[in-house]
Amino acid sequence: MSTSPPVLAAEGVEKHFRLGRRDIPVLRGVDLQIHAGEKVALLGASGAGKSTLLHLLGLLDKPSGGRVLYDGAPVHDLPVAERARLRHQQVGFVFQFYHLIPELTALQNVLLARMMATSVLGYWGQRKQARAAAKALLEQVGLGDRLHHRPAELSGGERQRVAIARALLAEPKVVLADEPTGNLDSTTAKGVVDLMFSIQQERGLAFLLVTHDEGLAGRCDRVVRMRDGVVVA
Amino acid sequence: MQAFSPFLALRYLLIRRINLLSMFGVAFAVWAMLVVDGVFTGFVSDIKANVRDSAPALLLTGLPHDTGYEQLRETLERDQDVVTTAPRLRHHGLLQATMRSALGARGQRLQVSSELEFDHSDNGFALLLGIDPLREPDVVPLAGWLRRGPAELRRYGYQPEPSPVLDDPDPTRRALLQVPDEVEWRARRRAGLPTERELADFRAVWPGVLLGWPRIRSFRWLQEGDPLDLLVAAFPTTDAAGDAVLRTDSRPFAFAGWFGSGNRRMFDETTVLVPIETLRTLLGHDIHDLESIDLVTDVAIRPRDGLSDAAIAALQTRLAAAVQPLLGDGALPCVVYDWQQQNSVFLSAVELEQSMMEIVLFVVMLVSAFVIYATMHMMVVQKVKDIGILAAVGASPGGIGRVFLLCALAVAMIGAALGTAAGWLCTTYLNEIDDFMREHLGAELFPRNLFDLDRIPCHLAPSWIVTVAVAACGLALLVALVPARRAARMNPVLALSYE
Repeated sequence: MSTSPPVLAAEGVEKHFRLGRRDIPVLRGVDLQIHAGEKVALLGASGAGKSTLLHLLGLLDKPSGGRVLYDGAPVHDLPVAERARLRHQQVGFVFQFYHLIPELTALQNVLLARMMATSVLGYWGQRKQARAAAKALLEQVGLGDRLHHRPAELSGGERQRVAIARALLAEPKVVLADEPTGNLDSTTAKGVVDLMFSIQQERGLAFLLVTHDEGLAGRCDRVVRMRDGVVVA
Repeated sequence: MQAFSPFLALRYLLIRRINLLSMFGVAFAVWAMLVVDGVFTGFVSDIKANVRDSAPALLLTGLPHDTGYEQLRETLERDQDVVTTAPRLRHHGLLQATMRSALGARGQRLQVSSELEFDHSDNGFALLLGIDPLREPDVVPLAGWLRRGPAELRRYGYQPEPSPVLDDPDPTRRALLQVPDEVEWRARRRAGLPTERELADFRAVWPGVLLGWPRIRSFRWLQEGDPLDLLVAAFPTTDAAGDAVLRTDSRPFAFAGWFGSGNRRMFDETTVLVPIETLRTLLGHDIHDLESIDLVTDVAIRPRDGLSDAAIAALQTRLAAAVQPLLGDGALPCVVYDWQQQNSVFLSAVELEQSMMEIVLFVVMLVSAFVIYATMHMMVVQKVKDIGILAAVGASPGGIGRVFLLCALAVAMIGAALGTAAGWLCTTYLNEIDDFMREHLGAELFPRNLFDLDRIPCHLAPSWIVTVAVAACGLALLVALVPARRAARMNPVLALSYE
């Protein structure tokens, strides 16, 4: 375990959802720390709260209690626009169902991440560099010849590679992957995982991987198991 | 503004064909607003100009029946803002062609157009307006009326000449609207009436009568100088028991020409112009009685040029107040109307029609705005997952909302541009389009004859074009705020899991 401060940390994080008059606890005081360059697998049965924790750590949602810290600073209570900015700068998401914009080509989907950070004029000024960076990333993930294909024209594995490239374009410190191979056959899944881990190692990213797959979890530096909203191991 | 908002808005705009429907809606609404309002504005502007020509700038009315003109004139013309005045006497009568049977054959021969006759049943009733032809041209463009009447008739295939009665150098003859001696002499001979054998021995005696040009429907066979009998009825005296005694009188007039004031419906169709002195005599006033000879029912007033609306309003009040003491105790208040008040019923009807049309067009605009709202709402619903993706990648809520706002704005701007271009082209070439449709399809966009117009009037003000285009874009933005706000406030976690 690294002695440097964690890039991402959860301290006593709770999350409740209201269903009618009922208050349903999903997370009940989760503590978790992820350091730079560390690969952490989050294992647990369906309903254990893995994805909810991932969303809270990725600032897509606010915890009902506890704190989320980036580089030691609490960020869970920031205004919504500030959380969006931080999410863009610090976090890259990879989802099970890829979540690409169907109207955009692979290149445009990746470029979207750059467009979030700049104004119209700012982007116009650096559009060539942005395209070059996006192309380089897509080539790195093996899609150099699929730049102008829309998601519907790509296979599942290719789509996930586009999603990985998009997650990496803004050079985040943390990548949060929610069952990234859950929708892929085993051969394709292995290729995608190999790609993710090689990039993670190359860039020294903190990597949190939500999965059901014990084999995949075994390839990570650390495995965190969850059950009924608490970390059990 | 984050760069992704316009980028994605443009993508959605180009790829989603439903946006074409919104664009078409906006374009149609803008086109309709420009064309219909352009035509109406031109039409109302023409109508107002015509009505303005048909009425004196100011009219003193509401006078008791025994009011003399001379004392009114002195009082009115004493005001520094009054240039001149002219007496008017209103009555009613029946107009009947003399010796029409003798002229019947000619009537058949001269029938040129039946276009004017489709809905008319003329019983000869006429609103008589007694004017002083020596003073009236100073308060209304009477010479212009005499040119306009024949001009209107030429559009229907008739070829009358403008009446020369105002050109007569003899003021006595001009005051009676008398046609030249030769014209009356020949008319008498045509009608078989007794007259001198030689023209040199003949002097015209009939006063002239000027008919509004729509009366050609009943008198299409009339030639200048032809005799017309005018019958009037009045109750000028009472009997021993104090009851009013009906007195009728009639006398022949020479047809002196057609006039067209510009106000067909409210004036030309109903009114005939006769010399005021002749009308007074017909009504039983003794021409030698100085008290009765200058009776008037109204006085037309020409104010100084260049007076503001406020100055005109003040003048109206001032003149009415100055005249009231002359009318005797117990007289009802007299009033001074400006030209718009004199035609208030007609002008109000036209303006109401325009307002109603603008309301209808505004509803069209609202419908197009609703189409934009529905399209944007549908797009937000269909793009819930995209909204979640954008949020996950780092889009701010404002940036997400702006995607849909910009999309709506682009739809409205393109639609407004198309509508403006189409509207401008249609209004510029409206008459050519109407001619083409009439000739090739038998359809007429605008019944010109109904409104006595040579061409469809159209006035498209640049300020109106800008107003409509900006309003269309503003309205689109306004209605798009609701779906855009919904998109911006969407929970990204729920959006990502939306199926």
